[in-house]
Amino acid sequence: MIDDAKSEKKQHTQNSMDRRDLLKVLSTVPAAAALFPAGAARAAEMSMPHRSGAPAAAAPASGDYQPTAFNPHEYKTVTVLSDIIVPADERSGSATQAGVPQFIDGWVGSQGGLDTIRGGITWLDLESNRAFGHDFVDASEAEKKQLLDRIAYPKTAAPDDAPGVVFFNRMRSLVLGGFYTSKMGIQDLPYMGNQMLSEWNGCPSNVLAKLGVSYEKT
Amino acid sequence: MPQSVSSAKSYDAIIVGSGAGGGMAAYVLTKAGAKCLLLEAGSWYDTAKESAMLKWVYEGPHRGGSTPDKPFGEFDGCVGGWQVQGEPYTNAPGTDFMWWRGRMLGGRTNHWGRISLRMGPYDFKPYSRDGKGIDWPISYEDLAPYYDKTEELIGVFGSQENLENTPDGKFLPAPRPRCFELMIQKASNKLGIPCVSSRLSILTRPLNGRPACHYCGQCGRSCATSSNFSSPTVLLPPAQATGNLEVRCDAMAREVLVNREGLATGVSYIDKKTRKEMQVRGKIVVLAASACETARLMLNSRSPQHPNGLSNSSGLLGKYLMDTVGSDGAGFVPGLMDVPAHSCDGVGGMHVYMPWWNYQKQLRSEMPFARGYHIELGGGKQMPGVGDFDGSEAFLGGGYGAGLKRKIRSFYGSFLGFACRGEMIPNKDSWCEIDRDTVDQWGIPVLKFHFKWSQDEILMARHAQETFRELIVNMGGEVVQSSGAEDNWGISKGGQIIHEVGSVLMGDDRRKSVLNSHCQAWDCKNVFVTDGAPFVSNADKNPTLSIMALAWRTSEHAADEVRKLNV
Repeated sequence: MIDDAKSEKKQHTQNSMDRRDLLKVLSTVPAAAALFPAGAARAAEMSMPHRSGAPAAAAPASGDYQPTAFNPHEYKTVTVLSDIIVPADERSGSATQAGVPQFIDGWVGSQGGLDTIRGGITWLDLESNRAFGHDFVDASEAEKKQLLDRIAYPKTAAPDDAPGVVFFNRMRSLVLGGFYTSKMGIQDLPYMGNQMLSEWNGCPSNVLAKLGVSYEKT
Repeated sequence: MPQSVSSAKSYDAIIVGSGAGGGMAAYVLTKAGAKCLLLEAGSWYDTAKESAMLKWVYEGPHRGGSTPDKPFGEFDGCVGGWQVQGEPYTNAPGTDFMWWRGRMLGGRTNHWGRISLRMGPYDFKPYSRDGKGIDWPISYEDLAPYYDKTEELIGVFGSQENLENTPDGKFLPAPRPRCFELMIQKASNKLGIPCVSSRLSILTRPLNGRPACHYCGQCGRSCATSSNFSSPTVLLPPAQATGNLEVRCDAMAREVLVNREGLATGVSYIDKKTRKEMQVRGKIVVLAASACETARLMLNSRSPQHPNGLSNSSGLLGKYLMDTVGSDGAGFVPGLMDVPAHSCDGVGGMHVYMPWWNYQKQLRSEMPFARGYHIELGGGKQMPGVGDFDGSEAFLGGGYGAGLKRKIRSFYGSFLGFACRGEMIPNKDSWCEIDRDTVDQWGIPVLKFHFKWSQDEILMARHAQETFRELIVNMGGEVVQSSGAEDNWGISKGGQIIHEVGSVLMGDDRRKSVLNSHCQAWDCKNVFVTDGAPFVSNADKNPTLSIMALAWRTSEHAADEVRKLNV
């Protein structure tokens, strides 16, 4: 599965360019990191090439969504994992409330990467069945946690669990990417821009104070 | 039905290309009373209607991701890319040159960085200064009045700094730095590196009927309110208002036509809609198809009078192709975590930058490489993109759940990016020629590239990497993206920075250049070049402003020639 993931990634890069690879390969763009620089150089001079996406449903999750890339079991697993990665909390809703499973279904369907997720789900179900005697979606909360804790922390994961780590890293990136590009996720961060301002006054004073900088010439 | 159609109408000037150079030629020539026909290989573009300005990432069918004709994302203002369907190019063995073509009205001016830096006095006489490269046939003083006029026309903000070889301009007021830019400025000052207001062609005050910037930070999407510079919003409307300009899109120029005396009579192009050859006549021909495309057009213009391509008696057509040295770094600065929410958008690009600061050391031979670079930078709380979280496990250690959400809020806006933009010295190994074995879908032979960095550029990239590290460490941060000896210090591929210039050099010796000091072809005096192709060096001053200033100067001279021909 690791090999699959690699070859799939290669194909991915050829098709639509992975932003991580772009960072290494293309220095076209002054990197100006957005969230995480490994995936997130953002233009000072121009905008960074973005990885293409599927026509992505921005609508909230609804029970009657018919997945096009995943089969029903896979889609259910993606849905369960999405809400484990981004659950509702006091500030915002969950991944499914932000339409993330639909987004992922569309994204991997049109951009590639489906096999990484599909293979990962098969790996997860296999491990779940060996450990608990049922698929991951049917596992109890404690069982899910036990299994995910094996693959969610790359630095401490066992070498034999590497396929699960690769899968979960990709899953996490997709869920976070889908969530924080939704209206709900943008309000959660929050990103305060994308509006017309009549003038630019620079940073607010509370920000200047926190950073210990000012507009007074020294 | 004949395969080619000749237009009976004759123009004063046929201009090939509608970007910075062609747009400026159209502006100056039509204002001087010349009847101009402008040919553009791409399609018509209406900025006000087609701009994706202020769209949310979730409103795009691809969530801002790329599409075949928008490799920089579906919201990007430029149609085109390093690969254009049906318009290939080839590379010689060992070369991996990337050639961006903008295929739309206004070309690459629709999404460029608006970074508008004047070349300085040293930059015009590099050979005299350090014995490398070639001197320009003109000096800073020759171009300074045109920089003045260009800045006043397009609107450039900046600050008066009086720095060495970094001439100030006719600036609009500069916007205040963003919060993280103030922190970078502080670190930079400690290291003795100047960090001053950037110089961008974005309006901080209304100008010539164009409203001031509204600070959405999305200049790259093309500005629906024309508050930044692009050729279709700033140069072409006044040219059209003279009544002297006709624009023809989807017109792929293939060769300059000449008469028995070897003078240009017009241009042959392929109408992309009918795939038929069209011929248009003009008293002069102005080439501004972009550096390499202009070289290609001239190399493909072979005739008994110009057997090796138009005005190629020197054999230098296509030679001395340059791009800019690029190398990137990024840092994570804990001090920028948990910054209170606020808009970091500002103008579309950095509010401050670091101009080159080691001219005196170089004069004393204390630097291991010739020429300079400037540092561009970015960061802050930007509109999220789908790929922004790829690799997040490296910083957050992985995980999931409510704790992960809290971490992301806390880390948001704490990463900074730095980019070197440095001078490439022209060399004999970097050039382009016609690949006779390959034609594009319009039947036109394509370009083959040869490209090589010299040690000066590679050592410059190393210096930039070291400087990024010093800046990041000085801010209490951690380097999270860097390059080392194993990848040549992250030096970009040729063409990646999309600053290709040269290949049709101007000069004051016809044996050593293709164009004279007015960018007029030595061997074909009614042909002028107004894009980046005449550039003799590629200083670390992003070329677009200089292209326009030089185009203005060239076009004034061309207008004089038209007047003489009309008498």
